[in-house]
Amino acid sequence: MKLKTLEEILKKKSSKTEFAILTNLENGNSEIYIPGTSPEGEFSKYINEIEKFFKSKKNGVIENSEIFVETYIKPIKVIIVGAVHIAQYLVDFAKSLNFEISIIDPRGYFASEQRFPDIKVINKWPKEAFEEIETNSNTALIALTHDPKIDDPALQFALKNKFYYIGALGSKKTHENRCQRLSEAGFTNDEINSIHGPIGIKLGGKSAPEIALSIIAQLVSETYKK
Amino acid sequence: MKNSFDEKILDEAQDWIKANQKVVLATVIQTWGSSPRQVGSRMIVNEKGDFSGSVSGGCVESAVVSECLSLIKDNKPCKKIEFKVSNESAWEVGLACGGEIAVYIEQIH
Repeated sequence: MKLKTLEEILKKKSSKTEFAILTNLENGNSEIYIPGTSPEGEFSKYINEIEKFFKSKKNGVIENSEIFVETYIKPIKVIIVGAVHIAQYLVDFAKSLNFEISIIDPRGYFASEQRFPDIKVINKWPKEAFEEIETNSNTALIALTHDPKIDDPALQFALKNKFYYIGALGSKKTHENRCQRLSEAGFTNDEINSIHGPIGIKLGGKSAPEIALSIIAQLVSETYKK
Repeated sequence: MKNSFDEKILDEAQDWIKANQKVVLATVIQTWGSSPRQVGSRMIVNEKGDFSGSVSGGCVESAVVSECLSLIKDNKPCKKIEFKVSNESAWEVGLACGGEIAVYIEQIH
């Protein structure tokens, strides 16, 4: 691989652009491919196969050839509501897991850049904050404030927009009350039951990093179920 | 939707190059049976034999490192290596999982 190609790959990664690396395993030539464009030279006749790898989000060698395709897909967007202590540990875990984190918290003293360097922190109420973030059914929501006036609007937005993972921190009692409010707001039982609450898999831990670990474990598990 | 868990390895490769090291990139290109790391998993090796990342669960890393060092020594651009259970060297280095993997190594230049 040419150093120039490596630099281009890193640039594409940091700008979160989807691409694939095409490598000829026989002669060592490699090239970056952007979906929807035409690959050059020796790779051009494999366009259909390359697109197939891209669609299935897989890496591999094209059958009966010596061409290796490695696809880079956009990281999964995870929105955390509540710039609390647990969120700081979640950010640390998420860094090595290719999740892209945004944090929403209207409380300025929590939502500081100093507490969350290099993370998009939106110091607004959820309703306004969601106007700044592009979301879809590949988005996950982790609600951590257990304050109804902050968490509830975010949960409602996530349910309406069919996020693939929605989790909310709080005790069983807190969650029961939350379900009651969502039911009164017109959400169906199926929708309400899709919320992971109390959030996280059972690890038994109570400290902030332990709770963060249980949440991220559940998020990874649900991501692979998609 | 699979995540690419090893994403940072290419950034590290660039850091090593900036520090004037010779870097060989090793990538899992094919797997058969039960293999611990998925296709696309990466490892980098420098001319001193330092390495980062992984292409298996520790089974074939040492063999990959020595292949990478030979690549630098012989100044070859790339090579494909297959580790199979039937392969003698795989037994030596111990592909304990019983799987088979193909690893592609290439110099970054």
